[in-house]
Amino acid sequence: MSDRRVVVTGLGTVNASTVGGREALAGALALGRSAIGPVRAFDTADMSSRLAAEVDETTLVFLVDRDAARRLSRICRLALGACLLAVRDAQVGGGRGLGIVVGTEYGDFTSSRDFAQGFLRRGPGGLSPMIFPNTVMNTMASIAAIAIGAKAPSITLNQATLAGDLAVARGARMIADGRAEAVVAGGVDELFHDVYQRLARMGALSPMRSRDPEGCRPFAADHNGPVLGEGATFLVLEERAAARARGAQIMAEIAATAWGNVPTAPHTGRATRVDAGSPVARLIRGRGATGVARCYGAGNGDPAVDDWERALLARDLGGRDDLLPPVSLAPLFGQHGGLGALRVGAAALDAARGTSAVLVHGIARGGCRTAVVVEPAA
Amino acid sequence: MRRSGARDGRPDVVVSGLGIVSPYGAGVKSFWTGLAAGACAIKPITVIDTEGFRSRIAAEIPAEVVNTLGSSRRRSRADRIALAAAREALTDSGLEGRARAEAALLIGAVGGGMLEGEVWYWGEWRGHPSSGTRALRSVLPFSHAETLGGRLGLTGPKETVVMACASGAASIALGADLIRAGVVPTAVVGGVDALTHTCFMGFNALKLLDPTPCRPFDRDRRGMSIGEAAAFLVIEDARHCRARGGRVYARLAGYGMTTDAHHVTAPHPAGEGMIHAMQQALDDAGLAAADVGYANAHGTGTPQNDRAEALALRAVFGDGGVLVSSTKSLVGHTMAAAGSVEAAATILALQHGLLPPTANLEQVDPDVPFDCLPGIARAAEVAAALSNSFGFGGQNVSLVFQKPEQSR
Repeated sequence: MSDRRVVVTGLGTVNASTVGGREALAGALALGRSAIGPVRAFDTADMSSRLAAEVDETTLVFLVDRDAARRLSRICRLALGACLLAVRDAQVGGGRGLGIVVGTEYGDFTSSRDFAQGFLRRGPGGLSPMIFPNTVMNTMASIAAIAIGAKAPSITLNQATLAGDLAVARGARMIADGRAEAVVAGGVDELFHDVYQRLARMGALSPMRSRDPEGCRPFAADHNGPVLGEGATFLVLEERAAARARGAQIMAEIAATAWGNVPTAPHTGRATRVDAGSPVARLIRGRGATGVARCYGAGNGDPAVDDWERALLARDLGGRDDLLPPVSLAPLFGQHGGLGALRVGAAALDAARGTSAVLVHGIARGGCRTAVVVEPAA
Repeated sequence: MRRSGARDGRPDVVVSGLGIVSPYGAGVKSFWTGLAAGACAIKPITVIDTEGFRSRIAAEIPAEVVNTLGSSRRRSRADRIALAAAREALTDSGLEGRARAEAALLIGAVGGGMLEGEVWYWGEWRGHPSSGTRALRSVLPFSHAETLGGRLGLTGPKETVVMACASGAASIALGADLIRAGVVPTAVVGGVDALTHTCFMGFNALKLLDPTPCRPFDRDRRGMSIGEAAAFLVIEDARHCRARGGRVYARLAGYGMTTDAHHVTAPHPAGEGMIHAMQQALDDAGLAAADVGYANAHGTGTPQNDRAEALALRAVFGDGGVLVSSTKSLVGHTMAAAGSVEAAATILALQHGLLPPTANLEQVDPDVPFDCLPGIARAAEVAAALSNSFGFGGQNVSLVFQKPEQSR
């Protein structure tokens, strides 16, 4: 419907494997080394899960200046660090044409806990007015918007598993619709003891009460749950003509995006649940899979997600078994809100190397489904 | 930056359904009756222990209303009011079959099921852990979208928009873009927030709550009063609505969305982002400021917000250039729901030719050069109206609605 085309002109990532721009991500992907290991940030001795992909605290020190770092929560520093790297990579400036879309699954739960504990320990006098704003999930976007001068829409999307994918798709939509000239879009989550402990107790993390060893094994026969990661990854998306006009180094084009819902009960996913016609199914079936050379998926080792994703793609890709199972980056970086943006970033790097078309697909428990098609820039 | 949706040939967007659960009760009818009467629903809080806090009041949905909503009591309070409001909006729209199933779902949310999550967490902290995990599963804001998307069987784009107090308005705006882009012909859009300890305690800690019912634009205003609600609109491609014989409440003529990029909790002192949001909305609608007869202000009642918003309204409309009221003085600041609650109030005001008042307004701040409709609703036929929503993080959203006879 729109003649405004969207390209990727920058990338910034702070994850358990690497920190930097497009070259850093390309290096981490080429190395293919998993950043998952025993949790260092807190004691897991009494938990059934003990693995995670953690960002080294010392790397954060170099990303955000000391004064700002003192005022900011850890997740805000992760988001801000990745956004600053992304705009530096793209060499894009702030202003009324620059927007931001942040996807997150858990937001700043650390601040929510600290705020509540202030009250539980000391009553009303223990409540911190400094911490309270962080309990609202849009604080990461707000902090980043101030730092990069983003005065176009600043949007935060809360979503399980696909927060980063959804943020990139919405960011591309904003440019196509003329709501912004450039958008910094991606996702962020941090590893947080209370969330980790409770997810482990609920059997939501590997090994999910199975006898197989703990680990992230998407689409494998012995997959037994996701392993959490943390970090932030943001892409700079721009309107193609404007990017060309300013001489931006274009990585790839976001050729198409779609997101929709496959109705199911909250927090569930069933491989038998068919997508009767969400915009994602229409996009994949409509474009055909003939030109697709690679497919990334949201499969993260959670059997419900893995099996559902494989079944949905098997139906919609029309017999392209060579694309199944889709490539998962969860074993490298762990499951977190920035992972979807890492997938799109990896697809952009593929396209920059000449891969014809890359489908970045996602399905989450609860039914949210996404698709981003990345192609070489024309 | 943005062109008019009408001028560039993209679909016109109309509002074809409304659904609300507010402190007045369940349903659009009770909501409008309360607004028209100028009834202030801000009263002592019952769902939260307020002992030791400066402010102990809020606009709460009465227990007897929540208990008769007809959805499972196993769901969070926020899920229950959201589901009831969304169901009412869909029923009101008359959408059926495929047209209904294909609708997008965009929900503005902040607190999620935090009220129940807090009870769970506090119990654990105090040594009374609960074995159940239901409260935890619904604590995040996206749980509303999962609940509504699954229960209502919607297959269109699904998003949970967290933009603080502008969340509900933003969900309307972003849903409209999906219709204008031809992604979907219809969308269920709105916001929900139930009262939570975190919200109540946080605004108390910031000293932003008035111990008495809030007095937006009053010289002696001392802060806001929080509230809870769910409000949803069904918005639709005008051609689609016309073809199926749907009812049109109003045209969503345009919107503006900007970021201050100034401060996390304070608005830009000159209202810079607010001004741009309102101007963008007018440009998007293809209207001049003089075409707008009423502005439903964000109007929280805090000294900072009302001062900045008055400056911004003045810059856009000129002194006295528009009638202004704040319905937060009636139903409280319903947080993530506020933008959609006030959009609904604005649409109903256009429909009925009656502008809801600003309650508790006795001495208008001399820096607010507008008729703020103190106390009593006023009959006025206006063709177009603006609804402002501003939030923490410098988030600004302005929506412009027109009466249906103005629609193409």
